[in-house]
Amino acid sequence: MTTYTKKQVTDLVKGELDWDSLHQMLSMPKDKERYGQYMEVLQEQVSWDDRILLPLGPHLFIVETGDNTLVTKCGCGHNFGDYRQNWKLNALVYVRDNETKMSEVYPKLMAPHTDWQVYREYYCPTCGTMHDVEAPTPWYPVIHDFQPNLKAFFDWLDMPAPANA
Amino acid sequence: MNQLSNPVEVMGIDAGGTMTDTFFVRADGEFVVGKAQSNINESQAVLESSTDALAHWGRSVEDVFPEMVTCVFSGTAMLNRVVGRKGLRTGLIVSKGFEDFHRMGRAIQSYLGYAFEDRIHLNTHRYDQPLVEIKDTRGVTERIDSQGNVVIPVRLHEAREAARELIEQGCKAIVISLLSSYLNGKHERDVRDVCLEVAREKGVDIPVFASVDYYPVRKESHRTNTTVLEAYAAEPSRATLGTLSDSLKDCGASFDLRVMASHGGTISWKAKELARSLVSGPIGGVIGAKFLGERLGYENIACSDIGGTSFDMALITKNNFAMHQDGDMARLVLSLPLVSMDTIGAGAGSFVRIDPYTNSIKLGPDSAGYRVGTCWPDGGVDTVSVTDCHIILGYLNPDNFLGGILNLDVERARQSIKTQIADPLGLSVEDAASGVIELLDLSLRQHLRAMITGKGYSPRDFVCFSYGGGGPVHAYGYTKGLGFKETIVPAWAAGFSAFGCATADFEYRYDKSVDIGITHESGEAEVEAAVGTLQAAWNELREKVLEEFRINGFTDDEVTLTPGYRMQYLGQLNDLEIDSPLAALSSADDWNELVQAFDDTYARVYASAARSPELGFGITGAILRGSVETKKPNIPEEPDAGPTPAPEASLGSRPFYYEKKWVEAKLYKMELLKPGNEIKGPAVIESDATTFVVPPGFETFLDVNRLFHLIER
Repeated sequence: MTTYTKKQVTDLVKGELDWDSLHQMLSMPKDKERYGQYMEVLQEQVSWDDRILLPLGPHLFIVETGDNTLVTKCGCGHNFGDYRQNWKLNALVYVRDNETKMSEVYPKLMAPHTDWQVYREYYCPTCGTMHDVEAPTPWYPVIHDFQPNLKAFFDWLDMPAPANA
Repeated sequence: MNQLSNPVEVMGIDAGGTMTDTFFVRADGEFVVGKAQSNINESQAVLESSTDALAHWGRSVEDVFPEMVTCVFSGTAMLNRVVGRKGLRTGLIVSKGFEDFHRMGRAIQSYLGYAFEDRIHLNTHRYDQPLVEIKDTRGVTERIDSQGNVVIPVRLHEAREAARELIEQGCKAIVISLLSSYLNGKHERDVRDVCLEVAREKGVDIPVFASVDYYPVRKESHRTNTTVLEAYAAEPSRATLGTLSDSLKDCGASFDLRVMASHGGTISWKAKELARSLVSGPIGGVIGAKFLGERLGYENIACSDIGGTSFDMALITKNNFAMHQDGDMARLVLSLPLVSMDTIGAGAGSFVRIDPYTNSIKLGPDSAGYRVGTCWPDGGVDTVSVTDCHIILGYLNPDNFLGGILNLDVERARQSIKTQIADPLGLSVEDAASGVIELLDLSLRQHLRAMITGKGYSPRDFVCFSYGGGGPVHAYGYTKGLGFKETIVPAWAAGFSAFGCATADFEYRYDKSVDIGITHESGEAEVEAAVGTLQAAWNELREKVLEEFRINGFTDDEVTLTPGYRMQYLGQLNDLEIDSPLAALSSADDWNELVQAFDDTYARVYASAARSPELGFGITGAILRGSVETKKPNIPEEPDAGPTPAPEASLGSRPFYYEKKWVEAKLYKMELLKPGNEIKGPAVIESDATTFVVPPGFETFLDVNRLFHLIER
């Protein structure tokens, strides 16, 4: 079994961990303490105190608030509501659905035709961080990426599950 | 013995990252080994190590060097330079539009050298930094097609501009590798001449390497990597080897310093193709085994070498080792012929852990290396290694590990094994440790068996040679039950690779790709043309080989030339390397002899029933080897002193754990055993650099050539 320092996990989150350590981390069985360390590092990166339970993206987390409700939250503190609801429904959305908009992100003729595929970009209404981009057919409903079973997850981690999971 | 009648003749140098070993052999076959810390100055390390070695004979460097006839160097400096990306800043000129292929790399380079689990997992794959950065790469408009025809003539003004920019940017060497240049080298040579001209105009002296002058073989990535290494890694080594050669001469040496090369011969440090000395350590053992086999009459040998981090295996059949055409080293695909070896990442120093999911013992893939294990507190290792297990079970002597230069703490090793391995598995410390050793032996045994049976052979037809620092410790374990004809442990196992280097021929080898295909419908004219193509390739290579020897002052008639070729059945993917039965080809009739030699070799390597000549025959490569006579070490020969070891060879006894019980193993000093001595297990035969374990149920005797024969009863 391998163990890592908090510094190494911080570097991992920042993408600055040296390759040899990263390679070892990838290849070896996962150490028990890692998830706790990982959450601790993420917690230090945000200015609020709600407990981070699971990251959904680099700046998007499922957190447990002071009154034990479980919500999706942006790194800036914006609350997207109950974690079982699709947070995207409460985000700002920008849809690239014509050639002009596509040409802003891809060279001419290298983007999909927007009759077939559009890009939907989801932003935080408070800080403007882009949290997700989906690339569906134009008529497709907003995708709910996944809804974690937090109780099962924390049991598997062998850590106490949040009260309302 | 009289020094004049018994001069020191051969010296082998193994310059590793931490230690520089030297190995001196006297005319009567007696040898000494010296060690010194490798420091920044390689020459100094070699001299210190030599002084250390020669002190055993009470002689000095100045005294011995003048009487020596040959010296072979192998070292890791060049490899470290590549791995650490600390080479000479090199500019690369390629065909326009192909500027990115070098940094993209072949896909296999993202997982070369990995353990099996990491190869099948995509997220551990990773490309190393390219040797040449994109900003030091330039494209030149030109194109030669796959038949060697010029499709777009080379735009030399672009080459001139490229060379100027690269030199102004600070590149210290320029490499040129254009598409299909192995078929038609004109464009590369033209660009090369332009680069040299620009360098002259700018008043700088930088080497220019055109791939066609070095490795005119197919496969762009391989050819480019290899030629880049010639500039990036070998050029700096040439300087160090030159300094070393000078300092040896200052001590009175009159021999030429030679370097072990991947094709199994030794080359001069002045050689044009020096990159082929990138990896040479493990090859030495195979060459040494072949040499011993030829002298002592073993024609089929399974070579096995255990070091701290890896287990290297190679097969010698009918006194020949197989060659691998595109060797890879340092995670780069290369166009270097390489003595074919199988390596697994498990060695005497592999780490031992418990897999938390399966609750089973897992070995490696990493190892403690020079830090030994938890038994050496100063090494700073907290994870149990295989060595720890050997130490607590009495296999190794904690007071004489590496000649006693390390202070080992047996109790610390025991505690680590208890907490990390034994307690989680609910076993006693002894059973856990011996389980680890059994597991390692089992895994080595399976690989050894697979290598032999996978090629259609049976271990019964082979003698197993076991060497390397760890070989003699494990020899009984990884050969048990395999049914080898014999298992042989040379008394100089630890220095066997250095010994092997010293037995290698002074030999250059050049390769060139050719495309020849002859079917049953081919007419006489086509066969004649094919024979002509091969002979023309040999002529071209002949000139290069002779040139290499001229650099070292040999005349052409002193060089023995051996032409060869790579042939395959058309429709098959793999070719075989064949020594040509004819020294020169002149007519279509000669073709049949080439085919016959291939058919015979194919039947030997695989089976005669597997031959498939229906679609005809192809030749993919021309090979030319040239060698000159060199002095080789003598194999020691001592009179038989009878079966009973002399009393002074005995070192007492110590408890030894084997198959779930403690037994009392007799201890012997390896150097004091005499030919003819017979020893029944349990026994442990110790020397400074290695330990030979003879467990219960095994016995061994030392023959007149100082080879131990291990016999399973």
